[in-house]
Amino acid sequence: MKRRAFLVAAGGLTVGFSAYSMMPVLPGRPKASAHAAHGWLKHHSGTFELLLPRIELGQNISTALKQIACAELGVEWDQVRVTYADTSMIQPVRATVGSESVRDFAMPLAQAAATLRDALEMGLREGELEPGERPVEALRAFRAGASYVGRTVIPDRALDLVTGAPLYAGDIRRPGMVFGRVLRAPVSPEIGSRPRSYNRRAAYAVPGFVALLDDARLRQAGSYGIGIVAQTPRALERIERALAVQWQADRTFTQAEVDTAVDVDLHLENGRLQHIIQDDDVDTGAHWDVDLRIDIPAAAHAAMEPRAAVAEPDAAGNLQVWTGTQDAFFVRDVIADVLDLPGDRVVVHPTRVGGGFGGATICTVQLEAAVLAAHIGRPVKVVWTRAQESAQGFHRPPVSHRIRARVAQGRVEAWWHAFATAHILFTNAALPPWLQSVAYVTGDKGVARGALPPYRLGARRIEYQLERLPLLTGPWRGLGAGPNGIAIESALDECGWVAGADPLAFRLAHAHDPRLRQVLVRAGELSGWGQNNGTQQNALGVAAGIYKETSYVAVVASVERTSDGRVRVAHLWCVHDCGRVINPGQVRAQCEGNLVWGLAMVVSDKLPIRNSNVDAPNFAALAVPTMADVPPMTVELTESHAVAGGAGETAIVAAGAAVLNAVRALTGVRHSQLPLPRAIISSVPT
Amino acid sequence: MVRQTRVAVWDGSTPAWIGAIVQSSSAKIGSNHPMLLQMERVMKLDINNSIQDIDAQWQDESLLDVLREKIGLTGTRFGCGQGTCGACTVLVDGVAVRSCVLSARMLQGRSIVTIEGLANPDGRLHVLQQAWVDGQVAQCGYCQSGQIMAAAALLRRTPRPNDAQIDAALAGNLCRCGTQQRIRRAVHRAANMLS
Repeated sequence: MKRRAFLVAAGGLTVGFSAYSMMPVLPGRPKASAHAAHGWLKHHSGTFELLLPRIELGQNISTALKQIACAELGVEWDQVRVTYADTSMIQPVRATVGSESVRDFAMPLAQAAATLRDALEMGLREGELEPGERPVEALRAFRAGASYVGRTVIPDRALDLVTGAPLYAGDIRRPGMVFGRVLRAPVSPEIGSRPRSYNRRAAYAVPGFVALLDDARLRQAGSYGIGIVAQTPRALERIERALAVQWQADRTFTQAEVDTAVDVDLHLENGRLQHIIQDDDVDTGAHWDVDLRIDIPAAAHAAMEPRAAVAEPDAAGNLQVWTGTQDAFFVRDVIADVLDLPGDRVVVHPTRVGGGFGGATICTVQLEAAVLAAHIGRPVKVVWTRAQESAQGFHRPPVSHRIRARVAQGRVEAWWHAFATAHILFTNAALPPWLQSVAYVTGDKGVARGALPPYRLGARRIEYQLERLPLLTGPWRGLGAGPNGIAIESALDECGWVAGADPLAFRLAHAHDPRLRQVLVRAGELSGWGQNNGTQQNALGVAAGIYKETSYVAVVASVERTSDGRVRVAHLWCVHDCGRVINPGQVRAQCEGNLVWGLAMVVSDKLPIRNSNVDAPNFAALAVPTMADVPPMTVELTESHAVAGGAGETAIVAAGAAVLNAVRALTGVRHSQLPLPRAIISSVPT
Repeated sequence: MVRQTRVAVWDGSTPAWIGAIVQSSSAKIGSNHPMLLQMERVMKLDINNSIQDIDAQWQDESLLDVLREKIGLTGTRFGCGQGTCGACTVLVDGVAVRSCVLSARMLQGRSIVTIEGLANPDGRLHVLQQAWVDGQVAQCGYCQSGQIMAAAALLRRTPRPNDAQIDAALAGNLCRCGTQQRIRRAVHRAANMLS
């Protein structure tokens, strides 16, 4: 501890101290190979163990991968047991992000299963197998008529989920366990802040007090915290009050400062933006038929499970950590680095996550628990409060878009899309400015995701500006694809109005990809497009998109007027093509979730700035959609034999814009400041 | 110190005693050492038809923390600690309440049922649990214990609820994954199984 202490006094950060922050938030690890996959499967006397290399976040990847294992091994469901692999059991794997789990893990797993099956058939019963790569056609799991694959299978945990079995990090209880919390200044962690004074003696006197720790290893981003440990959860609250910490922060900021930083028009006044995605020859000086500015604010993940971890040291100095994380190996590496332990002395046991959505990708609460547990030599549980979730977490960055287009003879012939926002993959929640500056050269692929329109639009110029903001910004479901989808599909819709074209026909006139055309056509059929849109009381809107070049979606929204003159979303239809489907029931569930997320982007998601931080200490401020906000939804999956893509973040690229386009069709108003005011949108039935 | 407390229940069928408990427990949080005053008293809670002794250290904790950390019934989950998300919903004398804003002390003599105690005594799932499995409702699942308990309270007083009644009864039970449509269907399915 002493070794670190000088850094507080120095008031600055050194490279050495920041060593653990040097890794990018999504560390570059190789794609899973068939070789690595051999560690995922074990066989002992007739039963198989699948060591899950992915994190279970509710996408039910454990079920999908088990379906593939069963199909390839040619065994029954009950013969395969799924174990959530801890970091000592398997080789490092990538974070569970970006809808990659089926796309990148199904094939290596099937290869491993095939090798194991062949070995068993040859009579082998012991030892480690060398991987054998075989062509897809040789794999049973991907053949027509494969067992389990392509069928809706009820997940293993379905019973546990309805009977209250322990599943999440917070459900872990260890002998002698106590409760910890790290108190921090209420300002954004991006701002340097530290305790100025606190009443140590008053804290000692609180019944249930266990420990107080003022330790630089508790720093997260610019925030230096004070750790407290207590016998019971409520004692933590009493200690916090008794301490009465006075905080000191290096600066303040306002909503206006954030708005200015990501004001695309201000950046465009200085000429080209930092990062160019597409640079066709577009005459930027000529007349534009469509000139649309769209502003989308910061948003919270608002996962129902607050971030939580239990850390337990043993006498030898090893540390066990149970936590809901999308990246157990990153958590392990950060903790090992900060505690000066060899990597193999820290074992991270990833539990089911109660909603990840990109928010469980870095190391926060886990480090707090680890430092406190190492300090007192006992197991410590740390569960963030709802207020900490908002104040200490990172968020979807705010963004402003300017899209200009020229339309002639029913076609878009020039498209200029500029936007300004903050980092996503190069998140300031994990990267100090000097390291984040790499993004100045490389751009941020997370921010750029989905910025290239999936349509043929003539000459295109697409560019963006990245600004490090005083609030923490980072990955959020779909990264840039959700906001970019809203901007692109809103502007394209306006182009259609300029052309005097039917919105669906206008899209089909610009869509060349056959799979995109197919989902658009089918969404039109399913929703009765052209039959019941265009009255005074209701209207339809459409939007579509492609996610990561592998998954296709079209969404039609129906909106209607309510008796109080507002607008209500009456129905959402979604047609989805993510290639080969392993478990249709779960893909549908992901589509439904994405539709609700797209709706929330339009009607509720926002994080206002107040007192130098986001101001959303409770769910009332977050306005997560309630039952009545969610309209009936119809999801149809397109039969496809294309390579399995992702489903976890696809429909979000179209759902929000479909609603906005329907509102435009009904009211004639193009809403470009999100979320829509409650004076306009209603969940109250007509 | 005044503590902001949100009302723990949300529908019109709330007995008056729940309001009293919420007010009384929030007032107690502010006092200096409430634990000391009650240190020697034995405290018993009736949880899932089993009487549990609560030792002095835990007597001033929230019902939620007593359930989860003292007794080990972790199926009731912590979402906000402010009574606003519903993840911690349990039944007290058959009424759905937010266990995170209730002091355990105030529930002596009441019958508390958690998700672990919802199934039939013979081990068969409650119709709602079965409907949740059949309808594959859960995604991440974190809110679902609370959803099921709130739905159980609804079916007790309204055996055949319509969509609007379901939406109203579960309005305070948030789900971020987007399972609302499946929840609605599962409640209907359970109601049909009951009738």
